Amino acid sequence: MTLPSIVTRFLTKSYGALTALDSFDLTVEQGTIFGLLGPNGAGKTTLIRILTTLMNQSSGSASIEGLDTLSSGREIRCMIGVVSQENSLDRYLTARENLELHARLHGMEKRQYKGRIDDLLELMGLAGRQTDFPDTFSGGMQRRLVIARALVHQPRVLFLDEPTTGLDPQSRRAVWEYVRSLAGSMTIFLTTHYLEEAEQLCDRIAIMDHGRLIASGSTQELKDRLSGATVYEIEFAEGEGERYAALLGAMSCSRNISRLGNKVTVTLEHWECVSEIVTALHGAAIRRISLKERTLEDVFISLTGEKVRE
Amino acid sequence: MLTGTVAIWLRDMLILRRSIYSELVAVVAYPLTIYLAFGIGMQGYIGLVDGAPYSLFIAPGLITMTAVNAAYNESVWSLWFHRRVQFTIESYRVTPISVSEIVIAKILTGFTHGIIKGCAVGLVIFAITPFRFPLEHLLQYLLFLIPGSALFSCAGIISGTVMDKPETIGKVEAVLVMPLIFMSGLFFPLSSYPPSVIPWVRALPTTALFEGARRALVTGELAAFPVLQVSLSALVAFVAAVFIFRRKMAE
Repeated sequence: MTLPSIVTRFLTKSYGALTALDSFDLTVEQGTIFGLLGPNGAGKTTLIRILTTLMNQSSGSASIEGLDTLSSGREIRCMIGVVSQENSLDRYLTARENLELHARLHGMEKRQYKGRIDDLLELMGLAGRQTDFPDTFSGGMQRRLVIARALVHQPRVLFLDEPTTGLDPQSRRAVWEYVRSLAGSMTIFLTTHYLEEAEQLCDRIAIMDHGRLIASGSTQELKDRLSGATVYEIEFAEGEGERYAALLGAMSCSRNISRLGNKVTVTLEHWECVSEIVTALHGAAIRRISLKERTLEDVFISLTGEKVRE
Repeated sequence: MLTGTVAIWLRDMLILRRSIYSELVAVVAYPLTIYLAFGIGMQGYIGLVDGAPYSLFIAPGLITMTAVNAAYNESVWSLWFHRRVQFTIESYRVTPISVSEIVIAKILTGFTHGIIKGCAVGLVIFAITPFRFPLEHLLQYLLFLIPGSALFSCAGIISGTVMDKPETIGKVEAVLVMPLIFMSGLFFPLSSYPPSVIPWVRALPTTALFEGARRALVTGELAAFPVLQVSLSALVAFVAAVFIFRRKMAE
């Protein structure tokens, strides 16, 4: 049995009266892609700063590959790669020089990093621009360069803090491809606001809010947590929507009725309610009935609420 | 042990090498303007100061001022920029190097800028003005210039660490750094002060620096107390800079 890659136990971080992390427990298995989701201010960045040894916790423990973040900071930083929210590229150094500086900060000799940097620039599609300055790069290229920088020293754990924020769909998908290509060779810890990204990339996902872990599992496991409720979208003929929305709303097994024109969306307590609905709608001019798949976003909103965070 | 310090310092030197000509033009222009305006323009009105023509009186101070200003400015703006704008300090911190290695590298960079730019201005003043000094006095002068540049580099690191807004940095320079330099006998002899103020002015490390450096360069005199005063101040500033930077990074 392999050692978990990342473990936190009762991890707590307070800033005065504010508790950013509250007895946070987490286990991430080696070689997996783990996604951490949460609204703004949920504590994601605090957690990632503690795990990358940039910050000390108030209490509790955190370990990376079995090493304690408080007592083995230097050893941990040798084995992690970090892609922070900000690009943090040195605009006065060329793309290649950025990677070389990072390699030297990791104590690598030129003979060790030269070939590695060649390979990474090739892999990230930046070989032709290696002597250019990052300021002249597109957002997607800068992001790829930051990822390349985080990989120079061949880390065992890669932290990606909102790696695709601000990128266009094409660049985002390109980054996803690079991340997928790394799967299995290292543990990847990803935070993101894009639920589709987490759904596409992650083996396991955790949702946190107010500094606490509120759910974790695979995408399917999280979707299954939304009780047995099913959502149907029913499109009626012109002018019929309002009447049938009222009828459905009055039924005991329906909840959360919403209407947009002739389209009525109804959440049923359980699938057995379908026959009751069919009976109630007998004779109605129905154009279409469809079962609406629950998405990760539904799970996220149901767990963290719809209120916009500051 | 200082792998990180060397790597970051070499990075800074690469950037300096790339921009050396434009940097030197800007650095030389300011003291040279002062020299021409005050040293040449005013000398007819001022006459001799401490037995020397006014233009020669201010020349050593202008060289010293250029060096310490360059050390301060490089440290303060570089640290602020890398910390608040480019976030490169954060990218250094997720590598195996220590916070102390980062701050020592930045102090060394500021110090190097000070020495290089001070020497450049010295050469220009030497070349285009009648100011002359025996070359053997240079060693005594460097005994002031080296700890002086280190002191201002550390002061710049402290400012760049604790100040988050660029306008605050400008204000500190206007309210603290420039008065400290200008009031330390750069443009006039200390005897111009009221007698009751002189002991206070003499207690300032900047006075020890500017007065001591001038005497060292012009007369070759090396007074031990001012050298110790500047060196000790630099040491205290170094310890404070490392401590404050480490504390800030731990927040």
